[in-house]
Amino acid sequence: MAPGENETDVQTPRKRLIIKSATGGPKLTSTQTPATQFEVAEPPKDAMSALVFAPDAANRLLVSSWDKNLYLYEVGEGTDETKLIKTYPHRAALLNVCFGANENEAFTAGGDMRVMRIDLETGEQTVISKHKEPVRCVVYSREHSILISASWDLTLHIHNLADRSSPSSPLEIKLPGKPHAMSTSPSKVVVAMTARLVHIYDLPTIAAALAKFDGTNAAEIDIQPWQQRESSLKFLTRAVSCMPNDAGYATSSIEGRVAVEWFEDTAESQARKYAFKCHRQAAPEEEGSIDIVYPVHALAFHPVYGTFASGGGDGTVALWDAEAKRRMRQYQKFPESVAALSFSSDGKYLAIGVCPGFETGKMEDYTGEGRTKVFIRELGETEAKGKGPK
Amino acid sequence: MGKKKRAHPDVEELLARPWCYYCEREFEDLKLLISHQKAKHFKCERCGKRLNTAGGLSVHMNQVHKESLNCVENALPNRQALDIEIFGVEGIPEDILQQHNQRIIQNYYTAQAERRAATGNPPPGQSRGQGPAKKIKQETPDELKQRLAAHRAKLAAQKAAAANGTVIAPEAQGQSPGQGVSANFHNPLIPGSAADLPGSRDLHQISPFPPPQPGFPYLPPGGIVPGGVPGVPSYSPSQTYPPSYPPGPSPPPGASGAFNLPARPPSNPPVTSALPQRPPYYYNGHGNGTPTPAFPRSPSTVDDLVVNAGRGGDDIDQLIRMAEAGIKPQQQKNGAAEDGAAGEKKSKKDKEKNTRMIYGDSEISPEEKMIAEPRYRFVAEVA
Repeated sequence: MAPGENETDVQTPRKRLIIKSATGGPKLTSTQTPATQFEVAEPPKDAMSALVFAPDAANRLLVSSWDKNLYLYEVGEGTDETKLIKTYPHRAALLNVCFGANENEAFTAGGDMRVMRIDLETGEQTVISKHKEPVRCVVYSREHSILISASWDLTLHIHNLADRSSPSSPLEIKLPGKPHAMSTSPSKVVVAMTARLVHIYDLPTIAAALAKFDGTNAAEIDIQPWQQRESSLKFLTRAVSCMPNDAGYATSSIEGRVAVEWFEDTAESQARKYAFKCHRQAAPEEEGSIDIVYPVHALAFHPVYGTFASGGGDGTVALWDAEAKRRMRQYQKFPESVAALSFSSDGKYLAIGVCPGFETGKMEDYTGEGRTKVFIRELGETEAKGKGPK
Repeated sequence: MGKKKRAHPDVEELLARPWCYYCEREFEDLKLLISHQKAKHFKCERCGKRLNTAGGLSVHMNQVHKESLNCVENALPNRQALDIEIFGVEGIPEDILQQHNQRIIQNYYTAQAERRAATGNPPPGQSRGQGPAKKIKQETPDELKQRLAAHRAKLAAQKAAAANGTVIAPEAQGQSPGQGVSANFHNPLIPGSAADLPGSRDLHQISPFPPPQPGFPYLPPGGIVPGGVPGVPSYSPSQTYPPSYPPGPSPPPGASGAFNLPARPPSNPPVTSALPQRPPYYYNGHGNGTPTPAFPRSPSTVDDLVVNAGRGGDDIDQLIRMAEAGIKPQQQKNGAAEDGAAGEKKSKKDKEKNTRMIYGDSEISPEEKMIAEPRYRFVAEVA
């Protein structure tokens, strides 16, 4: 049953290893390189809200922080050094960040209700959109050159950035609830809101609507969600992440659970969806048989293998195989709650942002100062690779 | 003789073979097994280091790579647990060990019966004349006619072939059930052939009874089995056979040779100690040794699968694959299901289990609360 496993295999382990590596070639040596993980030297000075690798430059990392700064890091090739390249101060705490059309463009979602475009090269900042409440999330679709921001003023603002002559005022979509998480796949945008509302928008539809939009005829343009769903999770949604293959998405909630769903609206596809518990711990014995349930703050899909990582308030990161419905790995506990996760575009690195979590009712003296850290994990070649359904 | 014995090791030999708890593979000796386990199940996928036990690997992963090991690699679905410390054949839980032994015994007797049926050889220690005739088979006139026709056709074909100058290897198609399986003859544990036996359809489900049992119904009432009828079916590698085999009722046409086998009298080799624990699957109330003639033989899809898988080849890997395929369904019923899909249901049932949520506000997100704090609140500059 096992190729290469034959009955003449009686050499000592050490000897065998040498023989194997001599015949196994580069593949084996790469799997034998132990995965390394290192801490970024100059982390944000307060809690982080998001962390994202650039889609084309695998070593560029942006971190948005509650300390009103956007941080740009560069992961050193082959070294343990990640350098802080630049910080971009803002007027208010940042709630989200995403890369734009290239590795030098970024958009931030600010507590000052603005969406900013940042030129990472020059540091030039432009106001793209103004909401009436803080902006929770911002996503950019490279396929359609569309920027979407979601704010607690219950709107989505949509900008067409491909055509600079297009109106500067955004196309607005009303939301039925406060948005908490948003993610794009090549053709869809998933917005998760309060009251377990999930709206999925079709990007080509949005693009078509934008083409008709001249800045004044907003009333005539009515963009309806492609699908409206109720979250599979009973509690407040914490994170959404779309599969890189455009097939579906995963959501996580404050109640230690992750759900995996598919876009396709057929009975078979919907029957495939599932949810599972994670990021839980047994409470100390004096409390009896109680499970402490942590919120799952972060989800990220691996760009190559389609597996995904989840990070929770328990300070752990787990790798999951969505197809096989198995946990592949669980990494050692981090000192604080895992707030954000991102895979680099080549799938080689996993960035893990940790900062103190939020205990209910203990918000008054909350600070992430000195306890906010960024870890970069260099993944082994097959570390995030699923085994396929069993 | 020695060599022959090698080809068909007896049941004690088979039971004494070391096998891997994680993948049910058998090995020639312990050294091989241990090296297999180190390579397949206890190898660190990060650095290739081979540890001696799953526990050792877990500690290694923890200390060296700061990762936690969740399951044993390459293990059967319900054998991935880390809490069982396995080294070689040490540490295998008693129930699993017994299951394994039973399966070995099953396979052995099925294969043996098949072999005997195929060759018509009497069991060891019996002379030819004493044993049952090689093939006692009563055929219906129709069948006889059919056979005659087939024979004639074959002769004609041979003649024709001879006329053409080619030689056709004599093939006994459908005439001797024995020859049909003789290709598998050299391996006593051929899964495929074993699974072909009507009486062994449920072999993979670890039937509690030895395959030869279906032969019972063809014994005349008040059979000549020495020692009476066995109370508990048991096996002996060196049993004696009943002195004669009644030519009376014959197996139904098309039945394989297993039906011609005489019953085995009981004996008590050490291996039988594993037997009483078997749950009586089909012979409920089997106390006096009279088996119910209705032996279930409707093949399930799994059986079919196994049969097909087993037909592919006859090497030992095939055997293991078959063993795996054979065991899996049952184990999934018993064990794996619990931690799999059933686990989900179970957890839903256990909803009452107390949980304490770290963040319990399902209306307002932590970010909203944070931004409301003076520390983070945005105050527009007074222009």
